[in-house]
Amino acid sequence: MKVVIFNGAKDGDFTLETIEKSIVDQLVKAGWEVEPIELRSTQIAPCLGCFGCWVKTPGTCVINDAGRETTRKAIQSDLMVWLTPITFGGYSSELKKALDRIIPILLPYFKVYHGQIHHQMRYERYPNLLVIGVQEPDTDYEETFVALAERNMLNFRPPAHVVSVFRRDKDPKTIPAFVGEQLKRVEVKS
Amino acid sequence: MSQPKNALLLIGSPRGDKSNSRVIGKFLIDKLEQKGLVSEEAFAIRSVYTREGTEKLLKSVDNADIVVLATPLYVDSFPSPMIRALELIHEHRKAAAPTKQQMLVAIMNSGFPEKQHMDIAFKIIRNFAQASNFKWGGEIRVGWGMALNSEPLNEKKSMTRKLTKGLSLAAANLSTGQPISKEAEESVSVLFLPLFVAKTMSGLFGNREWDTQAKKNYAKDKMRDRPYENNQ
Repeated sequence: MKVVIFNGAKDGDFTLETIEKSIVDQLVKAGWEVEPIELRSTQIAPCLGCFGCWVKTPGTCVINDAGRETTRKAIQSDLMVWLTPITFGGYSSELKKALDRIIPILLPYFKVYHGQIHHQMRYERYPNLLVIGVQEPDTDYEETFVALAERNMLNFRPPAHVVSVFRRDKDPKTIPAFVGEQLKRVEVKS
Repeated sequence: MSQPKNALLLIGSPRGDKSNSRVIGKFLIDKLEQKGLVSEEAFAIRSVYTREGTEKLLKSVDNADIVVLATPLYVDSFPSPMIRALELIHEHRKAAAPTKQQMLVAIMNSGFPEKQHMDIAFKIIRNFAQASNFKWGGEIRVGWGMALNSEPLNEKKSMTRKLTKGLSLAAANLSTGQPISKEAEESVSVLFLPLFVAKTMSGLFGNREWDTQAKKNYAKDKMRDRPYENNQ
C-alpha cells in the first residue's frame, strides 16, 4: 500500500513537521510504502490555466517539472495526505501549487453531480484522502477550512476521506494519538 | 471612509492579459478612473516570486485606497500565486500596521454556472480582509466566466448588460468611499441566461467545445487517456 504526503508547511513549522513524522512512523510500522513531499522545496510552477492538460496532452500537464511527478504519485497511491497551515480558512500557497496542478486527474467534461456542475472523473480508481489543517490559536477558521476540503471531495471523489483540524496550541505530545485516530477514520488498517 | 483617490487592481489569474478576471476587473477600474481615481495594475504571478516584484506589489497595496482582487476560481479557491500574494500582504501589514483606512473588493470568476461554487472562496477572502485590516468593500461573482472569451466588456451587448450595469453601479459606490451596494452585487451575479439553460448548455455545448479544442490540437482521440493509470 502506498501513501503520498503533500506537505504544504512553511519553513520551521514544528507542528506540521511532527504531524508528518507521526504519519510516516505509523504507516511505515503498518507496512506501507510512504512518500512525503516537502512542497516548499519542490519546484512546481504555478498552473497556467491554459487547459493544455485537458485539450493538448490529455491527462498530463504541459509544464514538464515536478508537478507531473506529484500528480502521478497522487493517482498511483492508495492514500493521499494533504497537510497545511490553515491560511484564512484555506490552504497554504505551497499546498495549493500542487493541488492546482493535479487537475489532469479529472476530465474537462461537465456533469451534474450533487445538483451542481462538476468535472467528470478520468480514472476508475482514486486514492483515499486525509486532509489535516493546523490552526493558529488566535484564529477561528475551522469551519471554512472543513467546508473547503469537503467541497474538494465533490471534485476529487475519493472512496473515503477525512478532514481534520489540529490547533497549534495543543500539546505536541498528543499528535501521535491524533494522527492515529485520523488514519483509523480514513480506513487505514495497521 | 473618505473620498478614495487610488485604486489597485490585483489579478490572480496566471493567464495575464488573456484573463477573464482581468477583463471584469479592468471594466470596474476604468469606471473608477472615469470618476477621477488613479489606478495601478498588478499580476500576482508576476509579483510574488521575486523580491523586486513583491516589494513593488506591497508598495502598490500601501498606496491604494481601494484594492480590487480579481481572480478565477481554481479548485474551489484561488490560484496559488494569489494565495501567495495574500500571505505576503498579510505578513507585511502585520509587521507595519496600515496608516489609512483601505477597502478591499473581490471579483471572482468561475467556469461553472452556479455562483455557489464561489461561496467558500469568498469566505476565505473575507477572512483575509478582516485579518489584514481592510474594510470589506463587497463582492462581484461571475458564473460561467469563460463565456466572456477574454473580450473587453461591452455595455451594449445583451450577454454582458447586467454585468456591466452592476460594475458601473459598483464603481459609483466605491468612488464615494462606500462599499458595493446589494443592488450592484445582485446585478453582476445574474447569469445572462437562466441557470437551468446554462447547466444544460454546459453539458451539451461545453463538452463539445472541449472536443473542438482538442481536435485543433490533434488530441481528440486521447481525451480520455489515463497516462498515470495505476500499475498495481
